[in-house]
Amino acid sequence: MTTSLQIPQAILDDMVAHARALDPYECCGLLAGRQGTVTQLYRIKNIVALEGVEKLSSFDPAKAAHLERLSPAERAEIAFVMDMADFSAAKKDIRNKGLDLQVVYHSHPHDPARPSVTDIKIATDYEEIWPKINLPIPAYLLVSLMDKSKPEIRCYWIKDGTVAATPIITTG
Amino acid sequence: MIKVRIPTPLRPLTNGLGEVETDATSITAMIDTLNSAHPGIKDRLCDETGELRRFVNIYVNEEDIRFLMGKETSLKHGDEVSIVPAIAGG
Repeated sequence: MTTSLQIPQAILDDMVAHARALDPYECCGLLAGRQGTVTQLYRIKNIVALEGVEKLSSFDPAKAAHLERLSPAERAEIAFVMDMADFSAAKKDIRNKGLDLQVVYHSHPHDPARPSVTDIKIATDYEEIWPKINLPIPAYLLVSLMDKSKPEIRCYWIKDGTVAATPIITTG
Repeated sequence: MIKVRIPTPLRPLTNGLGEVETDATSITAMIDTLNSAHPGIKDRLCDETGELRRFVNIYVNEEDIRFLMGKETSLKHGDEVSIVPAIAGG
């Protein structure tokens, strides 16, 4: 596990553009690179509006109940579920380029750039899955659009249900 | 035998088991066998046309079946299958 991440400004800008393009819905994606240095961004579709999606995700009971009360479109304002066909295509490209997964990112259109209870629960559930699909445990990056004129980006390691912020070093 | 890893959201259907075994010879047969033993699993994994849902991946020995033969991917003794739910959050 690397303690800090180096991310080029152009990739940070691309993530913010992705978040703004989908606002008020959450965007999601992956960052890949080598040894804590990010070189590649993959946008992944948020398919939380698909029927049956909640039955195969580890949403905590409060989030699941909240999702149930919303229309499919509204669900994407408070949650994301990655399109796993997109994910697999990205995973294959990452492998073909000789890179490693570094970061899973998503946006919070209405909330701070901190992992939610749901984010922490699902990241913790996923800890046992990453090695089984031959990927390192990634850092989790949040883009907050609470202040539309000043998006906030923060990054975290999530392990055993505990969250540790990690600095982002912006590169050229 | 073939080991099949069951993700947390499906464990209520497998009496809490995180791993089950099968002697199925393809992914299609594996899903049918799992569904016989643990009714409801197939519906979670496949849509009404039988296609794998977009919020789940199945890996055989770390390779996504979408890049193998899809549900017709064959299985042999010693293979390890992982059913992987979508990465998600709030």
